Amino acid sequence: MSDDATAPTATVRDDDTTPTDAGDADDAVLALSGVDSGYGEVQVLDDLTLHLDPGEIVCLVGPNGAGKSTVLKTAFGMLTPWTGSVEYHGRDIGGMAPEEIVREGIGYVPQTDNVFGSLTIEENLRMGGVARDGGLDEVIETLYDRFPIIDEKRGAKARTLSGGQRQVLAFARALVMEPDVLLIDEPSAGLAPNTADDVFADVQEVNDMDTAILMVEQNVTKGLGISDRGYVLDQGTVRFEGTPEALLNDEEVSQLYLGG
Amino acid sequence: MTVLGYLANGLVFSSIIVLGSIGLSLVYSIADFANFAHGDTMTIGAYSALVTFGAVGGLGGAVLGLPYGFFLALIVGIAVAAVVAVGTEKLIYEPLDIDSIGLLITSIGIAFIYRAVIQIRFGADFTRFGVEPLRPIEWLIPYGIRVTRHDVAIVASAAVLVVGLHVLLQYTDLGRKMRAMADNPDLARVSGIRTKRVKLWTWVIGAGLAGAGGVFLGLFNQLSPRMGFNLLLVIFAAVILGGIGSVYGAMAGGFLIGMINQLTPLLSRLGEVLPLVPDGFGIPIGIEYANAIAFVIMVAVLLVRPNGIAGEGAT
Repeated sequence: MSDDATAPTATVRDDDTTPTDAGDADDAVLALSGVDSGYGEVQVLDDLTLHLDPGEIVCLVGPNGAGKSTVLKTAFGMLTPWTGSVEYHGRDIGGMAPEEIVREGIGYVPQTDNVFGSLTIEENLRMGGVARDGGLDEVIETLYDRFPIIDEKRGAKARTLSGGQRQVLAFARALVMEPDVLLIDEPSAGLAPNTADDVFADVQEVNDMDTAILMVEQNVTKGLGISDRGYVLDQGTVRFEGTPEALLNDEEVSQLYLGG
Repeated sequence: MTVLGYLANGLVFSSIIVLGSIGLSLVYSIADFANFAHGDTMTIGAYSALVTFGAVGGLGGAVLGLPYGFFLALIVGIAVAAVVAVGTEKLIYEPLDIDSIGLLITSIGIAFIYRAVIQIRFGADFTRFGVEPLRPIEWLIPYGIRVTRHDVAIVASAAVLVVGLHVLLQYTDLGRKMRAMADNPDLARVSGIRTKRVKLWTWVIGAGLAGAGGVFLGLFNQLSPRMGFNLLLVIFAAVILGGIGSVYGAMAGGFLIGMINQLTPLLSRLGEVLPLVPDGFGIPIGIEYANAIAFVIMVAVLLVRPNGIAGEGAT
């Protein structure tokens, strides 16, 4: 847990001010600086700068279409940044293919279609480890121990799992590579409240294994509730940043972006 | 010929259709590409085997009435079909970088090119492998089954290839990656699968099986530059009937379409073979309409199961 941003109110970012926490970005495990990105001709991210420190949970919130998922896709090479840089441990990975970025140590859990439905649970985990050099069986056993809910169903097809179980399998698949950064897109989407709580607990548990997490979440209270820091995105750029308390207590932030 | 006799012929013809169907479905599911050059890939396999067999001859012994040299020619036919398909993918389809409809149209052009090259070299006439024709197996004739040991070799070889593919898909790393890619290509890349490599292997396997199908088609009938293309629509019917994109569906669809094709003559003799139908009754449709019947059955099945026998995405 890092405890650097202790400002009582959220920090506002204007286009002409440099990010207040730019200093932290030097030790960041993942840093996006001045990134423009989008789909085809359509620009979504506009001069976006944010970073993730080792061991942190950082939550991206903001209205629909703000570009939250696009941040993750750009960081993971599914989109190439038009300008700006994506640095992992200080090395530019912007434009690298996802299948290579996985090998660097970043994992990604998509929001939907995040398991191979026609493959068994065991096969899903094996696919998560195709880029490993060795120790695949051991790490899969460790994951079964950590997530007993999928251990019971090793031979079942993933499409037979419930929504919550599916989300656990999606995490586990990404964790087979033992990444030190995990990008998670809306872990609670489409889940019942109880199940969503379980999934958030799993996110925290994954974080306890020294994995820094950059997460997009619609459920602002719960998402920020387990995070160390948060960014409020709007129209493809960061509008506010700060600790969860600061963001949740800031009147402007809650009125404009967090539904009052 | 008896019903058993037609079923036996159906089994032999099905084996060939299945080999063609698997590759078409595999490439569709993993490369997202309905390859209209697939039939002519079969032709390439057949003619490559013809040339090889002509060059190496019998090589001593024989299995099921087929000299060892023929099996060597079969392997060369499979290999050449695979190499040509991979080369086409690398030199033409991949650099083109167009959508699946663009690829489909391109592949029709590729089909013409394959066929033209074969026709320039070998002419448009029918030809045969230089293996000695066999008489039907004696002890089966009383049952009305007239199959040769060559036919047995076709069915047995196809069975070996199909079982081999099943083992590959279910129990090897490459097979799991292929199934993962067919299931969810984006997640496959996210998981770290180098999808281009898997795609190339898919072409190798799909075209190799087509090549084998072509060799057997040449042995079952004869060879001509149009042999594969003439079969392509039937193979498409089989693949769609099975559920396009599903390998096991393609096997089932290929089997059914092959059977239906060979059972067509029975339609004009329904009274003789069905118990409750008056003896003289029959629908006067000859084998020349077998392809049309196959499509009627395909449409009928799709009306009931719109995604084909194997449903959707179930590789």
